[in-house]
Parts: sequence; structure tokens; C-alpha cells
Amino acid sequence: MTESFLYLIQQLINGLTIGSTYALIAIGYTMVYGIIGMINFAHGEIYMIGSYVTFIVIAGLLGMGLVSLPIILIVALIVAVIIASTYGWTVERVAYRPLRGSNRLIPLISAIGMSIFLQNYVVLAQGSRDVALPPQITGGWTFGDPSVFEVSFSYMQALIWIATFATMSALTLFISRSRMGRACRACSEDLGMTNLLGIDTNRTIALTFIIGAALAAVAGLLLGLYYGVVNPFIGFIAGLKAFTAAVLGGIGSIPGAVLGGLILGVTEALTSAYFPSEYKDVVSFGLLVLILLFRPSGLLGKPEVEKV
Amino acid sequence: MQSNKLYSAIFAAGITLILACLMIGVKLDTEGTQLAVRGATAEQWTWIGLGVGLVFLSQLFSAQIDAFFGKLPKPQLGKLLPEERKRATLKPWLIAALIVGMIIWPFMVSRGSVDLATLTLIYIMLGLGLNIVVGLAGLLDLGFVAFYAVGAYTYALLSMYFGLSFWVCLPISAGLAALFGFILGFPVLRLRGDYLAIVTLGFGEIIRILLNNWTAVTNGPSGISGIAKPTLFGLEFTRRAKGEDAQTFHDFMGISYSSSYKVIFLYLIAVLLVCVVVYVINRLMRMPIGRAWEALREDEIACRSLGLNRTAIKLSAFTIGASTAGFAGAFFSARQGFISPESFIFIESAIILAIVVLGGMGSQVGVILAAIVMTILPELAREFAEYRMLMFGLLMVIMMRWRPEGLVPMKRPHLELKQ
Amino acid sequence: MNRITKTLLTFGSAVCLAGAISAAQAETLKIGLAGPATGPVAQYGDMQKIGVMAAIEDINKAGGINGMQLEGVIYDDACDPKQAVAVANKIVNDGIQHVVGHLCSSSTEPASDIYDEEGVLMITAASTSPSITEKGYQLIFRTIGLDSLQGTLAAQHILNNAKPQRIAIIHDKQQYGEGLATTVKSVLEGSNVNAVMFEGVTAGDKDFSALIAKLKKNNVDFVYYGGYHPELGLILRQSREKGFGAQFMGPEGIVNSDLAKIAGQAVEGVLATAPKSFDQNPVNQARVDAIKAKGEDPTGPFVFTAYAAVELMKNAIEKTGDTDPEALAEHIRSNPLDTAIGKVSYDEKGDLTESTFQVYTLHTDGSKSPVK
Repeated sequence: MTESFLYLIQQLINGLTIGSTYALIAIGYTMVYGIIGMINFAHGEIYMIGSYVTFIVIAGLLGMGLVSLPIILIVALIVAVIIASTYGWTVERVAYRPLRGSNRLIPLISAIGMSIFLQNYVVLAQGSRDVALPPQITGGWTFGDPSVFEVSFSYMQALIWIATFATMSALTLFISRSRMGRACRACSEDLGMTNLLGIDTNRTIALTFIIGAALAAVAGLLLGLYYGVVNPFIGFIAGLKAFTAAVLGGIGSIPGAVLGGLILGVTEALTSAYFPSEYKDVVSFGLLVLILLFRPSGLLGKPEVEKV
Repeated sequence: MQSNKLYSAIFAAGITLILACLMIGVKLDTEGTQLAVRGATAEQWTWIGLGVGLVFLSQLFSAQIDAFFGKLPKPQLGKLLPEERKRATLKPWLIAALIVGMIIWPFMVSRGSVDLATLTLIYIMLGLGLNIVVGLAGLLDLGFVAFYAVGAYTYALLSMYFGLSFWVCLPISAGLAALFGFILGFPVLRLRGDYLAIVTLGFGEIIRILLNNWTAVTNGPSGISGIAKPTLFGLEFTRRAKGEDAQTFHDFMGISYSSSYKVIFLYLIAVLLVCVVVYVINRLMRMPIGRAWEALREDEIACRSLGLNRTAIKLSAFTIGASTAGFAGAFFSARQGFISPESFIFIESAIILAIVVLGGMGSQVGVILAAIVMTILPELAREFAEYRMLMFGLLMVIMMRWRPEGLVPMKRPHLELKQ
Repeated sequence: MNRITKTLLTFGSAVCLAGAISAAQAETLKIGLAGPATGPVAQYGDMQKIGVMAAIEDINKAGGINGMQLEGVIYDDACDPKQAVAVANKIVNDGIQHVVGHLCSSSTEPASDIYDEEGVLMITAASTSPSITEKGYQLIFRTIGLDSLQGTLAAQHILNNAKPQRIAIIHDKQQYGEGLATTVKSVLEGSNVNAVMFEGVTAGDKDFSALIAKLKKNNVDFVYYGGYHPELGLILRQSREKGFGAQFMGPEGIVNSDLAKIAGQAVEGVLATAPKSFDQNPVNQARVDAIKAKGEDPTGPFVFTAYAAVELMKNAIEKTGDTDPEALAEHIRSNPLDTAIGKVSYDEKGDLTESTFQVYTLHTDGSKSPVK
């Protein structure tokens, strides 16, 4: 195998990993959008809080002398999901529910406010420094001739891939098969009608926010472990990228969010690989504009039907 | 009923406790190079306890609190103002008085206040520009800062490379920003709602990254410094004249130098620009094109079936909005004397959008009022240092709940049939 | 004149008088301290604050300057150029004539324009961009060496000591990092050494795997990084995970105990140019102890540069017996002074005539040792 081929493989692995991380966060965006047609601008901050909680739990358990990694991770996951869901629920309760039915820009602004608030709240509570965690899951596979180019694929990367696809499949099943999922779909079709048919729409929407936040917490845990660093400002950038991914794949569609995330990640990695890496954001946003020009509802989105 | 309330109060208090405990209650800390967790101090726990108690009580007595606030008279701006006909006759006088006041005011206050007022005027211009796009035409634009950047860089670069004066560059900046608006608008305006939002957001980021990376021309992240200040018919407002045959304002007038002249002069330019922008937009709103913007916002399909050219209308809104931002941008770089891509980040777009929404979409008075609130409040809160942005975020949420229609909801120009 | 007016007038004049008396009694000299107290780089602002506050405390304990007590007033610019202008105007407005700050070069640049015009003495303890002092300001000084000095030192070390085969120069696309990277590149090119890669990364990014694969493909054995510690920390950490083992080098912006926290073992052996560690200097022992006693960290690179800035002001005020910024600037420019950072003397532009940088090797426990 030639060097340039191995290099391409390595960059694809890198890109798919970045893409999976975007996808995990993007699923949360897309779920909320699918149901109430609004962008949850505070979603990135929930992801950031999930990361912080993970760090706190891991550091706390390690400090108490616990050494078994699987137990630590499971406890961290459970706590992070619970706390992040609580935050997600609170965001919905404070910034969205009272504004339901008003002009759609209003909740958007209140969500931006919520996002600024949460970010600075964490700055005040935890400080603005980077907090670092030593690598917990190390090691991986390598292949290719070391004298030419060695491709590495770490266990952590594999875990991120698996987690992304597992969540996507589980959610797709949940939405298409379960009773609650049907309620969600009904809400996205027509909120008022669903309400009339005896479904508690408030509860359904709150549940969507909770699921979205739980996914953000999973992303927070995985990315926290992968990069080993968290600060109060990671939510904004991650949120922006994930939002882009969600729109790219067609907002409202869960497989679309994953596809969009992967495309975005691979584009970034390949741009960094073959061009100066400072242009990777220009290329990814440029790609977004191009795709939207030819498919105005994203790759897997349903075209909007204009009703008169 | 009472026990129901109690449950919900306990629930809310519990939620607050969970939220607070794992953020404020424990703090990540590093001992050496090892990560550790430190509990909060007794004082912090007291605060958490107080917060939880407050939430509990406010939930328990929410009915009584609501009743109390319900009794408070709502601010009725409409009733405070005199009736319609009187207002019409009073209006020109009021506007004249306002303008005169704005001109006299800087001579009586400190330079810091004048400087802050200048910044506010910049945001008023930006708000008014975005108001056309979002408030009137209903196109959600999250990348408005791109046009602002184009305007700012146009003046900075023309001044740096060709030594062109502010007054020459002002229309060029506006024109170039409008051109960018036109070029961007052409392909993206067939997108709807949130898709348009994300594309404009992307465009804003692209402009910023390009400015940052195109080091050969824009000086990259170092930015452009020493941008020439505006002159009054060639008179400079510096201590010493910069050019060969240049003359300073205080020499010409035969008065001693004071730094406030420059600040006041900049402020007066801003007042002039804002007046021009307000006047032009006000006229546009009453013209067929302005009506078409609003009609398009209300119902796109109806507009098309009535034979309005959707693309042309949207493009005109986009272009005019962008040119206003270009105007503001050129003035911003003149006032600042230094610009770098850092000044044109996404949060800036978000703040301008917040101004428009807070003001009451489409309403000019509202946007002006909101711009004042949004620039002056963070400055007043500077004393609170680290709590400043926290309060800013909270305020945005509260304002949206308290007055979702904005400070001064838009009123259409209309005629009433006299009985 | 009726009674109410009379009472009011009497009351008013009493208040005025009281104000005048209190102003005369409290002989305090306010020193503005401008830098980020919030935002991502707030920790560098903390270093500056620790230094300035320690200096002010020491001076006040020793009886102040000519009987005047000092008071530090903190202004937060969050390292945002727009806020820096607002802060500068506020400082002028508040009548403060002596400023230590700003911190980020991009904030210092627009702010120094205002200070020089309005007659405020400004000494920055942290801004290293050469362009700040290139505009012929009279009242602007700094107690830290220039990027160009630091970059040149790094490049010389690369040429003479490290002698790598394939060099890559990476920067964070910010004024500070890119300026340094450009200096290093041009000095290397002057000696006919060409970098195989010269590239920017996005500050705030978390994933550098694509960049590392690229470095690996180009067989780079030496990386110079212009920027701050958060990004370099991640690059080091991810390099180690991916088995990429080149020698890394960076400027003083990476010398921070947080680097070791982020990168862990990968920090060992990383090279850095930094101001001499003034906290190790026996002259500063008492000051270091005093800062430690307050529970603060004296090891940050800007603590003693900020301390020295206050010392310079104090000395100039004592010698000239005046607080007028123009006179002080004149005195500072022409009279070298022994400070916490050693002998300080200035050239016409307001830059230090002697470079105070040195090459260090960083260690996993967050310490550093000088390279001979």
C-alpha cells in the first residue's frame, strides 16, 4: 500500500470520528427541531455541562479510590445523563414553554440568552480555565508499514463510532415504533390537533428536550474522554458545527443528522489533509451553501410543501 | 389544590437543588497535575440553600405572586401619549427638539458618556439595517455581521492603501456591502426560514475567516491599526496635524486643544448618519417597496399570486439592509482606529438580532430604544464585572417572557375614517 | 429667597465642602489595571493583577509614594478590542493617568492610541506585538520583550542547538501566535533553512488529528508552535496518542502549569522561550513569599513584569516629584532602573533594550529548567 493511500485512510478515520461527534450533538438539535420547529440554541451548552459533570464524577470517584474503569464510566454516564436532562428540561420550561405560540424568533432569542447565561454560569461556578483529565481509555489498533506510514485507530475512536450508530438506530426505532415516538411525530405534524386528540403535548415536548439533552450528555462524556479537556466555551463551537451538520443532512431527520455530521467531519479532515487547515471552516460552510442550493431542505430532509 | 401546589413547589426546589449541586456545589480543581474535586465553601452552600428556598416559596405562592403582579398596572405607552391627532401635529416639533437635544447634549456631559453614545448610535444603525431584513421582510439573517465587516474593512483598506478620506469611503463602503448582500442574496433567497438562517450564519463565518487568513491584504489577525479619523472639511481633530498641508481644528478655530472635540465630532457624525438612515428607511417603509416587504413577510404565496416579484423584493431588502451595515462598519472603523477580525464574530450578529427582536420587529422607535438598552446596560453593569454577561443572558430571557412583542411593537402607518 | 431654597443651598454647599475636604485628605493615586477579568484568557489577566496588587501593597506598606497611597482600579476588557476602546475611554474619563495594561496585543493596540492622545501613561506587562510601539508614541512602554526578540531567540536555538531535519511551523491564526511564527520562519529562511510546513490552526479547536497525520506524513521532526497553551496541550496529547514523536517548541504563551495538566506526559522535553523566571530570582524571594501567603500563584510569566511596571511608575513619581504622565515618561525613558525583572532601560520607542527571554525545557510536573 502506498503512503498516500494509507494517509487517506488515516484522514478518513479522523474525519469519521470528528463527524461522529458532530452527529451525536446534531441528533439533539434535529429532534427538537423536528417537533417544535425551533432551533435549541442552548443545546451546545447542555453538551458542555454534560462534559463537566462527567469530569466531576470521574475525578470524584478516582479521588475516593475507585479504580474499576467500567464502573466509573457507567456511573459517570448515568449521572451526566440525569443532570444534563434536568438542565434540558429546565431550559424548555424556562425559555420555551412560556413562549409557545408566539412569533418563532422570540424563543430563538430567549434560547440565545439562555445559552449566554449557562455559559457564564459555568464560568462562574467552575472558572474559565481548561480542565484536563488524564487519558482513561488508551491504546488502539495500528496497521500499515511503520516505515511508510502507520495508520492508527484508537479504541476511543471506535467507541465514538459505535456510540453514534447505536444512538441513531435506537432513536430511529423509538421514534418509529414506540407509543411515545408516535406522539412525537404527531406533535411535529400538528401541535394543536395532537393536543385535541388527547396527547399531552407539553409532556411530549419536554420529553424531546430531555432525550436531546441526554444525547448531548453522552456526547459530552465521550468527547470529554476523547479530548481530555473541557472549558465553558466548548459548547458554542460544537453547537455551531452540530447545527450545521443537522441542517446539511436535513433538519428534522435523525439519519440525516448523522449523515450530515459525517460529511462535515470528513470534509474538514480532508481539507486539513490536502490544503492549509485554516481554510477547513470556509470549505465546510461553502459545502453547506452548495448543498442547500441544490437541495433546499438538506440531504435527507422532507421538502416543505407550501400550503395555501 | 393546596397539596398539588406543595408537590410542584417541592419538585421545583428539588430540580433547583440538583442543578446547583453538581455545578456550584463541587468544583473541579487540580492538585499538581492530578484532577480533583473540591466541595463548595459553607458560604456557597448557604447561597444554594437560599436559592432553593426562594424557588420553593415562589412556586408555593405563585398564585399570590401572579395576582400581585396582575394588580400592578401594565405600562401602557399608548395611554401616556396624547391622542392621535394631537400627536400628528406635535410630531415634527418633538423630532426637532430631539435632534437639537442630541446635538447640544455632548457639550454638557463627560467624554466617556459621549463615547458610549457613539457606540450606541452604531448599534442603532446596525439594528435599523437588520430590522429591514428580519423585521420587515421576515428573512432570518444570522450573519449580518458579515456586511458590517465588509464596510469596516472597505474603509480601513482604502484609507490604508490609497489614503482616501472617510467621506469618500463612506458611500463606497455602503455600496460594497450592498454588493455583497446582492451577491449572497441571489442564490440563497430561495431558501426558507431556518435554512436561510444557517446559510447566512455560514456566510458570516466565511467572511471572518477569509479576513483572518488573507494576511497579504488584510493583515490577518493583527488587524489594521492607525485608521484615519474623519475630518471636517480637511480639518483634523488631533493634537498635531498629521499631513503636510493639513491643519488641525483647534488651530483653525484659534482655541486650545481638547481631546473631547474629537469625541464630540465623531458623535455628531454618528448622529448625522443615524438621522439619514432613519429618514431613508422611514420613507422606504411607506413606499410600495416597503409595503411589499411586509406583505411578503405575512404571506409569500399570496404575494406571488398578486404578481409581486418575490426575488426582487427579497433582494432589495437584503441589499438595503447590507448597505446600512456597511455604513455602520465604515464609521465603526473610523471611530475605533483599529479593526481586526475578532470584532466580527457570531455573537455580534446575535446581539444585533436581539436588538431587533427586543425592540419589536419592524418598529423603528423600538429598535432604537432596544439598541440603547442593549449597549448601555452592559456598560452600567461593568461594576458587576464577572456577573455582567450572566445578567445579560438572563435579561434576554426575561425580556422575551415579559414583552415578547418587543418594547415598542410596530404600528403600521394607517388612516382612520373620521366619524 | 424662600426657606426651602435656602436650606437646599446650605445643604448643597455643605455637601460640596465635605466632598472637597475628603478629596484633599485621601491622598491616593489611582492606578488603572486594564486586562481580561472575564473570558477565555482571564487567567493571564489574573497574573497581571497578582503582580500589580502585590506591588501596590508593598509600596503602601512602605509608606506610599511621597506620602500618597496607591489604589489599583480594575477594568475588564475581556481581551476584546471593542471593549478595550470603551475601557480606555472610561479610564480617561475617570481621570486616571497611570495604567498598567492592557494584556492582549489586539486590545493594547487600539487602547494605546487613546492613552497617548489623552496623556495617560501606559505600561503593558504582557503585550509583545512589535507594532504597538512603532507609531512613535510618547507615553507607551512595556516591561516585556518583543515577539521579534522571542522569535529570533527561538529560531537561533533551532539553528544552533536543535538542528532538526524537517521543521514545521504551526500557529493559531491570532496576532500573537502568527506574529511569532512569521518571525521564526523569516529568521530560519535567512539562514537558508526552509520549513516544510507553515500552517494555521483554529484557536478553540479540539481536534488536531488531521494536522498530526499531516505532520507525520511529512516526516516532521521539529514543530515550532506559535500560540497559547490550550491548543498546544491538545496537539501534544493527541500526538502522543497517535505515536507522533517530534520535538515541540513554543513561546511564553505556552508556559503555564495548565499545559502539563492537558498534555500530561507529553510535555516532558518540550522547549519554550520565556522571560527569565523572576520568581526564582533571590531578589524577589520576599515578594514571592508574600504572594504565596495570600494563596496566589507567583509563577505566571506576567506577575513580575506587572510588578515592575508599578515599580517604574513609583520610582519616576518619587524622582520627579510629579504625577504628570509626560514628565514621568521622560524620566522612565532616560533613567534605567533596577526592578523585580532586573535592570530596565528603554529605547526611543518605549521597548526594552535588553531581551529578557531564555530557552527552557518544560517538565511533566509543570516546572521548567533553563537550557544551557
